[in-house]
Amino acid sequence: MTASKEELLAKLSECVVEMEDEEVPEVAAEYIEAGYPAFDGIMDGLVDGMNKASELYDEEEYFVTDVLLCSDAMYAGLDVLRPHLPEEAANAKKPAVVIGVVEGDTHDIGKNLVKIMLETAGFEAYDLGRDVPLDAFVDKAVEVDAKIVCMSTLMTTTMDGMATVINKLKERGIRDKVKVMVGGSPISQKYADDIGADRYSVNAVEAVRVAKELVGIA
Amino acid sequence: MNEKERLSRAMHGESVDRPPCICPGGMMNMITTELMDTAHVVWPEAHLDAQKMANLTIANYENGCFENVGVPFCMTVEAEAMGAQVTMGTKIFEPHVTDYAVDSITEWRKITPIDLTRGRAKIVLEAIQILKERNLDVPIVGNITGPVSTASSVMDPVVFYKGLRKNRTEAHAYMQFVADAIIKYARAQIEAGADVIALSDPSGTGEILGPKLFEEYAVKYINRILDSLQKEKMGTIVHICGQMKNVYTQAEQLHSDVLSFDSCVPMKEAKKNLKHHTLMGNVSTWALEFGTPDKVFSLTDKCRRDGSAIISPACGLGTKSPLANIQAIKRGILEGQEAVS
Repeated sequence: MTASKEELLAKLSECVVEMEDEEVPEVAAEYIEAGYPAFDGIMDGLVDGMNKASELYDEEEYFVTDVLLCSDAMYAGLDVLRPHLPEEAANAKKPAVVIGVVEGDTHDIGKNLVKIMLETAGFEAYDLGRDVPLDAFVDKAVEVDAKIVCMSTLMTTTMDGMATVINKLKERGIRDKVKVMVGGSPISQKYADDIGADRYSVNAVEAVRVAKELVGIA
Repeated sequence: MNEKERLSRAMHGESVDRPPCICPGGMMNMITTELMDTAHVVWPEAHLDAQKMANLTIANYENGCFENVGVPFCMTVEAEAMGAQVTMGTKIFEPHVTDYAVDSITEWRKITPIDLTRGRAKIVLEAIQILKERNLDVPIVGNITGPVSTASSVMDPVVFYKGLRKNRTEAHAYMQFVADAIIKYARAQIEAGADVIALSDPSGTGEILGPKLFEEYAVKYINRILDSLQKEKMGTIVHICGQMKNVYTQAEQLHSDVLSFDSCVPMKEAKKNLKHHTLMGNVSTWALEFGTPDKVFSLTDKCRRDGSAIISPACGLGTKSPLANIQAIKRGILEGQEAVS
């Protein structure tokens, strides 16, 4: 007997929350074989689970290591469901975000979390990694027609790089076209204001709310 | 009471005329560009030359910053010795890892064991010997990178963190291998003349790991390291980054004499929750870099009133911090309200 759509969606969601990255592809395959739409499986199954994981992280029930494993399960499920998306949904243009840790700094765990949560929320994240040369933020933003440039650092020594990137965006004439978000432990709303960034966010969960507001998909 | 005696007494909760003012080195960076200019020794050269390394840390003491010397000036020595690619950085940026030695936790047996007779481990040990020969009044701090931070510098931290849950057996075997390397290096530092061993583990925080993994990996292997050091030493310091509120109980189990925290941890709260350790800290490094000497002065006085027994920056100094701000810490200890009362 085939499981109902609701049962399978709940199972997909639970697999993500419970970090079952080996079980999730089987459930996803069962869901597709039963003829249910891939899009719902992604949104109401996998993404629903990742949102629950984010809530648990926000409540300090889950920690960084947990969220990383939940995201592995989500991506494992996505690999199965994505090829079954109808063409228009698969090709739908998502708002592009360029994200990275500024030059001189290699602390990228926070950035990785933000990236995962932005992808879950429907953004196309272009991850430049860590210790990113400042020009690379601008070049990538131009290349992918980014809506948001998202920078982080954990070190006061490297903070200035964020201001430099903003100036470079101005020089290239695209500052009006992109929003700039900044984060990391030495960063504050005041610092964001001082350097002319659009927004600061205190953590990864907040970063998603801010990003949605900035592009008007709240 | 000279600086060595003062720190030794403060570390063990004995009475002192005033709290010592220290900055260990390593991740807890004490070096700034202004100090490099004053001492005519600059990064990155000082990371690669024992004499320059020793001269630069002595300059910190001679210029009225901190009452200790300490090497090295980064947290990449152990990881580099185990095969990670490291850039020496610039005058402003500290050395950091650019590429990893292995791709997964199961590959740890391929990692080169640490060799103290070559590379920067050797340079650091030589620098400690030079400092020892100078017979200074101030204590020499040997700095080691914590087990979680070292383990997650030799491979991608994301891969490593996942392995801690998904592959516990191999993760523990790898952590023991890393701990053994650190023990070897730290024991050699003490043998070379280090009075104090300071261990910083910024990647092994309660915020990242959560209480359970923090205890299972960070506390366990930090304690293995501390327990394996020679008894003949002044004491040990452990610095933990980030919020502590979820892991006070676990931190209380650490076998160090001293615990040091970030500025986001209120010293009063730490004092309430941690009864078995001497507490050290935690003057905001933001204020030290961007604030005024007056602000640093008052923050220092507040740290002392809130129960910090050893006054130090809350994290590594930003390299652009002005000397006048750093010198204001000691002034705050000597002339602050608490000193007057």
